[in-house]
Amino acid sequence: MKQFFSFVIKEARHILRDRRTMLILFGMPIMLMLLFGFAITTDVKNVRTVVVTSQMNARTQAAVERLAQSEYFTIVATAATSREAELLIRSQKADMSIAATAGVKGGGPRWQIMVDGSDPNMAQQWATYAQAILAQPVASEAVSSPSSPLSGGVLVKLLYNPQMRSAYNFVPAIMGMLLMLVCAMMTSISIVREKERGTMEVLLVSPARPLMVVVAKAVPYLMLAFGILVVILLMARYVLAVPLAGSLVWIVGVSLIYILLALALGLLISSVAQTQLVALLMSAMVLLLPVVMLSGMLFPVESMPTVLQWVSALMPPRYYISAMRKLMIMGTGLREVATEVAVLTSMTVFFLTVALVKFKTRLE
Amino acid sequence: MNAIEVNHISKSYGKRVKALTDVSFTVGKGEVFGIIGPDGAGKTSLFRILCTLLLPDSGTALVDGFDVVGQMREIRRRVGYMPGRFSLYQDLTVAENLQFFATLFGTTVDEGYESIKAIYSQIERFSDRKAGALSGGMKQKLALSCALVHSPSVLFLDEPTTGVDPVSRKELWEMLLSLKERGITIVASTPYLDEVRCCDRVAFLSEGVVKGIGKPDEILEQFKDVFNPAGIDKVAESEPSANDSESDNVIEVSHLVKAFGTFRAVDDISFTVKRGEIFGFLGANGAGKTTAMHMLTGLNQPTSGTGRVCGFDIRTEYEQIKRHIGYMSQRFSLYEDLTVAENIRLFAGIYGMKDAEIRTKTERLLQRLDFATHADDLVASLPLGWKQKLAFSVSIFHEPGVVFLDEPTGGVDPATRRQFWELIYDAAQRGITVFVTTHYMDEAEYCDRISIMVDGKISALGTPSELKRRYDQPDMDHVFTYLARQATRSSD
Repeated sequence: MKQFFSFVIKEARHILRDRRTMLILFGMPIMLMLLFGFAITTDVKNVRTVVVTSQMNARTQAAVERLAQSEYFTIVATAATSREAELLIRSQKADMSIAATAGVKGGGPRWQIMVDGSDPNMAQQWATYAQAILAQPVASEAVSSPSSPLSGGVLVKLLYNPQMRSAYNFVPAIMGMLLMLVCAMMTSISIVREKERGTMEVLLVSPARPLMVVVAKAVPYLMLAFGILVVILLMARYVLAVPLAGSLVWIVGVSLIYILLALALGLLISSVAQTQLVALLMSAMVLLLPVVMLSGMLFPVESMPTVLQWVSALMPPRYYISAMRKLMIMGTGLREVATEVAVLTSMTVFFLTVALVKFKTRLE
Repeated sequence: MNAIEVNHISKSYGKRVKALTDVSFTVGKGEVFGIIGPDGAGKTSLFRILCTLLLPDSGTALVDGFDVVGQMREIRRRVGYMPGRFSLYQDLTVAENLQFFATLFGTTVDEGYESIKAIYSQIERFSDRKAGALSGGMKQKLALSCALVHSPSVLFLDEPTTGVDPVSRKELWEMLLSLKERGITIVASTPYLDEVRCCDRVAFLSEGVVKGIGKPDEILEQFKDVFNPAGIDKVAESEPSANDSESDNVIEVSHLVKAFGTFRAVDDISFTVKRGEIFGFLGANGAGKTTAMHMLTGLNQPTSGTGRVCGFDIRTEYEQIKRHIGYMSQRFSLYEDLTVAENIRLFAGIYGMKDAEIRTKTERLLQRLDFATHADDLVASLPLGWKQKLAFSVSIFHEPGVVFLDEPTGGVDPATRRQFWELIYDAAQRGITVFVTTHYMDEAEYCDRISIMVDGKISALGTPSELKRRYDQPDMDHVFTYLARQATRSSD
């Protein structure tokens, strides 16, 4: 046991003395959270809108007012014809135009929405937002003309994230990415560094059991990962105002399983890689890139080709991110994330077993 | 009882490389046993097999009565092992390193202190310093302390003194020999002949085969063409006459100082080197050699003092200097993943040589080195000695006025070193000035003139015979030890 602690202390010293790495490890989550929270936002806000006034009447005017009052849209100009509005969009002076066309007599108005589609994702969102607002029944309207049924609009209600804030989506994703990065990359590099420097030879020729060496190496990184987890959760709650709806115990519990999984992957990489550079590239290319691309963090898994969906099913962060979304944002209990937890647990057991079996007690 | 019994051990890597072939020997308890031989002879493989790090393909070996294959755990509890590279944690302090290794071996520093006192007491005053900031000699003393703290019964040392200056090497071996009295068996490999002579018996390993085992002197005599190649016949050097013109000085340095804060790494040195001269630049680890070399090659600006290399001022015209000198160091010499021909082309191109010239000169060079059939081989696949010869040839390929060699022969066996020096003489004959640092004192004898740096100053300068006369010592080794022991500065 004493051996074990002296190992952990030694490893902790390596980490603590490497100031720059520490700075990056703790600076990165903070930077990513701020970036995603404030800069790279997919929230709809202040969309420059042109209103085509040719066929306006009092009712459509009221709908346009509603649009202008929302924080999502800003009316920047009015145009006489749709053609004029299109020119405004083409000359980059506006992003969207709305025009009301006289509907069937007695029916609701029909809207034409024209959107700058150069960013298709955003374009779709703007259109959806505008539709939702324009279709909203207004109390006064309902009173003034009770006879008219609601214009063919659909009532949309967003659960859990009524304001459609993107922070709700990316906080779990950043957790999934960073914990993987810290645990897998740092653990594998720290083991491979010992191989490169020749200290691994001396460790192997000592009475210390290889299993102990490996576990002791993982412990400080586990604690580091926890530190990062706490930083992310605190920032999410108090800086980005993302609610932690679910039980904190379960959030931390599931995270622990995920951290162990990442550590196991790190061990596996270290048994294959011979130099720190290879370990770094393997962690970055083999783990990180597919994790970011295929785990549903940036692009929804459902819209990928089937083959990629299968590949995505093998990505551990996919389950973690999904579980975190449910626990943190939706505030569900453990039962709702049972599948994710089961998959993560079995993956952890699998990778840990392989990593320990592959760990060499001799040189090649 | 024998401490080590090796029976018919063979080991090969893949199909082509046979590292060890049918190796057998025994080492008695308390014996100091040397394993010597050229690079790539299989020494490291043998050490690793005995330390249970590698599995032999066939044959058996017993260490302290335990089988290296079946009883790995028992052996790992009983042996101390120091691999060739510094096996320390550079970012931990001296005390933390020692403490860590003590606990690793299930003991404490206090318990093991008696057994390492003789060695550790020398570095104990630096116990708060990071291991990475120690000089080569002190690092090795610390590594040895770490390997000994659990009182092992067998100690394996794989070239423990490579890159360590002669004085520190002597101290290290004095300690090793004192361990013998405690009944610790020592197996060590070394390229230094004076260290070979410290062993009780040695095994000469070449290309994975044991060529002979016996007393050091017998083995050195039996294989003297490998270990004691006949000295190089020096071309009778014409004594520099007084009326030599100033312009014949390729390097002129006066009152050069380099200070880092209050620490004067190079402290007021002055000397000149003539065209075609072989100038040996000696000094213990941390005496300031590397710093001085960096200033001469334009990598570093002097704090004060002046210097000219090939007629260019080292302060202002360093770009010109870089164009007119060649440089070869032990660490960086050639790109391992390029072929021989590609390396030559690359470096020739860097120095702006014409394509046609490169082609004819490459051919001539390969011919002279007998490399013609290896032109398209990867440098990584060449033996170390070949690499160094090639690296040297590449460094003088553009016919520089002076070539700087920073410990060019570290870790190379005597026969290869001799061949290397023949190349140096060749270059000097062609008028290229050679400025060389080395830890091998037999090489110092080959130089026309040598300077010995102690604590940042040049404490002796002259021809080898002059120095021997002046300090009344039999050879350069003694001259160096005599001067370097006066050092007060203990490390870099």
